[in-house]
Amino acid sequence: MTARSPAAQAATLPLPGSENCVHCGFCLQACPTYLTLEDENDSPRGRIVLMKALADGALSPDDADVQLHLDRCLGCRACESACPSGVPYGQLLELTRERGAARRALPLIVRLILFVFSSAPLLAIAMWKARVFRATRIPALLARLPGRAGFALAMLASTRRSKEESSRTYEPRGDGSRGKVATLDGCVMEGLFAPANRATERTLAVNGYALVRAAGQRCCGALHLHAGDASTARELAKKNIAAFERSAAEFVAVNSAGCGAMMKEYTHLLAGDAAWSDRARAFSVKVRDVSELLAAAGPAAGGALPVKVVYDAPCHLLHGQRVSSPPLAVLAAIPGLERVPLTDSEQCCGSAGIYNLVEPEISNLVLAPKLANIAASGAPVVATGNPGCLMQIGAGLLRSGGVAQCRHPVELLDASYARRSAANSHI
Amino acid sequence: MTDLPTELSDIVGARHVLQRATELLVYENDALPGYHKRPRLAVFPGTRDEVIAVVRALHRARVAFVPRGAGTGLSGGALADDVVLIGLQRMRRIISVDPAGRSAVVEPGVVNSSLTKAATPFGLHYAPDPSSQSACTIGGNVAENAGGPHCLKYGVTLNHVLAASVVLPGGDVVRLERPGENDTGYDLLGAYVGSEGCFGVTLDVTVRLTPNPEGIRTMLADFTSVDDAARAASAIVAAGILPAALELMDHGTIEAVESSIYAAGYPRDAAAVLLIEVDGALAGLDDDVSAVQRICRECGAREIRTASDAGERARLWQGRKKAFGAMGRVAPHLAVQDAVVPRTKLAPILARIAEIGARQRIHVCNVFHAGDGNLHPNVPYNGDDPDEAARVHAAMREIMELCIAEGGTITGEHGVGLDKIGYMERLFPGESLDAMCRLRDAFDPERRANPGKVVPSHRCREWLAAPGAHT
Repeated sequence: MTARSPAAQAATLPLPGSENCVHCGFCLQACPTYLTLEDENDSPRGRIVLMKALADGALSPDDADVQLHLDRCLGCRACESACPSGVPYGQLLELTRERGAARRALPLIVRLILFVFSSAPLLAIAMWKARVFRATRIPALLARLPGRAGFALAMLASTRRSKEESSRTYEPRGDGSRGKVATLDGCVMEGLFAPANRATERTLAVNGYALVRAAGQRCCGALHLHAGDASTARELAKKNIAAFERSAAEFVAVNSAGCGAMMKEYTHLLAGDAAWSDRARAFSVKVRDVSELLAAAGPAAGGALPVKVVYDAPCHLLHGQRVSSPPLAVLAAIPGLERVPLTDSEQCCGSAGIYNLVEPEISNLVLAPKLANIAASGAPVVATGNPGCLMQIGAGLLRSGGVAQCRHPVELLDASYARRSAANSHI
Repeated sequence: MTDLPTELSDIVGARHVLQRATELLVYENDALPGYHKRPRLAVFPGTRDEVIAVVRALHRARVAFVPRGAGTGLSGGALADDVVLIGLQRMRRIISVDPAGRSAVVEPGVVNSSLTKAATPFGLHYAPDPSSQSACTIGGNVAENAGGPHCLKYGVTLNHVLAASVVLPGGDVVRLERPGENDTGYDLLGAYVGSEGCFGVTLDVTVRLTPNPEGIRTMLADFTSVDDAARAASAIVAAGILPAALELMDHGTIEAVESSIYAAGYPRDAAAVLLIEVDGALAGLDDDVSAVQRICRECGAREIRTASDAGERARLWQGRKKAFGAMGRVAPHLAVQDAVVPRTKLAPILARIAEIGARQRIHVCNVFHAGDGNLHPNVPYNGDDPDEAARVHAAMREIMELCIAEGGTITGEHGVGLDKIGYMERLFPGESLDAMCRLRDAFDPERRANPGKVVPSHRCREWLAAPGAHT
């Protein structure tokens, strides 16, 4: 009955932190896949049982059922925010996926995506092609095609910004007294959300940060690590650590919650590497979500932007980084902006890196209540600080005919600053 | 004739029937580590009709079953070998809320705190609040007659269930209601609440909703000895004050909670804290607060702080309610007791428990409902160490025997389940146990519902002949 392979039985692998789980079940209601699929195999508590059984050899790593339930995890880590025992669920999952990836090839689409993201030139070409394609408006026209392809087109279409937003410019007047900051460009952020990156730079400058470049930076490696390709993740991490060290920045500002969570955890990723563990620790303590830096500075108030906004917390900001109030402080700095509550804003939207492309069906089931809650709020703008969430919710809104648009909080703050700047120049 | 998995799949859909051992693994235990029982199948009906059809199919096949809510039980109550597990987590609709009548009708898989959330807009709440309320289900609460901190003043689940629809193990659907003042008949609902899944499967529950009190005052009193805290708890009730809740946490528990994300600001250097809540009409409420503070000070409290706002109150409660889960920080396994003792004997019994713990070299963390004398000695331990595990189990037996000898009982709110069935014969004479068996027979003559629970099987004649009872 139980799939015990002789080879697996021999090896008992460590799964540090799993012993903290006393099976209390307090994580169940926090888990989007449990609430969607209604089976404990698709819950944190259940997956911990499976991961422990894999580690101690009671289950075979080749067992398709086990892999199915582990693959279906979004990795949102909402369970960590509910866990009284501090089970490091994200780390258990990464370790288990790393072990699994060593035994079976990842799906072709996953390998392809990871390969492109690990290569700077290929990534640049892919993103350029995506932008050219986006400019044709074909993705927007075909955004409602059924299935995975249609969703991918909608994701791309949702990243389009108006001419006003793409060409926004003003002179950010800041004194640089808050220290030197280098920003992470980010693969998708720079590729498809360049206006948000410029907004990040300008809003930081307005709030007294001196921006420096970190040349040679790469993909943060989160997609690789979450898919089980830890070795590529470590290589990318080392390149980033070196690049940001050269920049001599005091802070590393990240506007992608997933990348920020990853970079704050380089310490853990490279803990076993004697040559890099100290450098990783020194690096990780400098990493901040852009909203943390802005909130620490106030942030400065901008010009009036009368609009109703709901805030949706990216999982890797709220659960991964435990950053909850700084994005709200960013929105609160915008005069006229009315933030209305979003039911279950702490629940995952189903994006989860490339999960929405790999597990489209479950991803859509997780997204559906999010879209319903957004519609119920009546707000025309959804603010969320992660490219995956921006595209997932953005695509969902496009496909469902929703009127709301999805923006990064710093884009809204930037628009507010631009208005203030324009108003001042007229005086 | 089709086989059982196929028949069940036809009822609920193949996706909601688990039959492979790998997928059943996670259903082998509830929230009490240490007990593992392997079901042969798990089936997750999504509607009332599906539940009835499943139970009838199992009746035709003469197969034993165990109903399960969220698996947050602490007595091994939802486990048995070779049974069909009926998971009710999909049955989570709140069918209706009647603000004027102060009641609600819910499906059994509704999570306890969701019910209160649904009642909040009407200024109402569901009073029984087990510490696991963020995860546990109303169906499970009914099965175990669950309690919670606020049951001191408001009563346990039994006091808040007005009616239930139940499918009996034989497939009949019955409506159980509490006889009113002018009605006659046996109180079958009273028998059903707390029957630990042995009498049937709940289809819906009508619960009473309680108006939110006009005022709430939550206090944290900190003591340098457990004895002082226990005496204070006893003295508060003896003074004629009925707090909404009166909870004690000792140093080991405080440490675990304060190290967790639910850190509530409990003083880490205290030997014990009392979490005391008084509520009700605003008039006179602050007199109760003053009286509680005075009694605590007289019993040696170092400091008494009162929550200044709803946020601080919520934090103080979250720490208490997540304390059980936080024990995982101390050690990977956990033994939990649920004995109830006379409140006046709390202090000496806690001292004896400490002696037992010291003698057996185990780490007892106390977190419990002091107001009603419902003890929860938690013992985190390493189950992979056979010597330590043996000492823990020996200590647990000693603690239980002590509580029984002092006039207490073996479970306040967790149920008998597997964990406490061995003590039933210590507590009840044979005639009483036989009477329980006969009551059960009225609901489940074949004894296919949650076999091997509540009454030790050898107490019941013909028990061993029943299918699925050999656990």
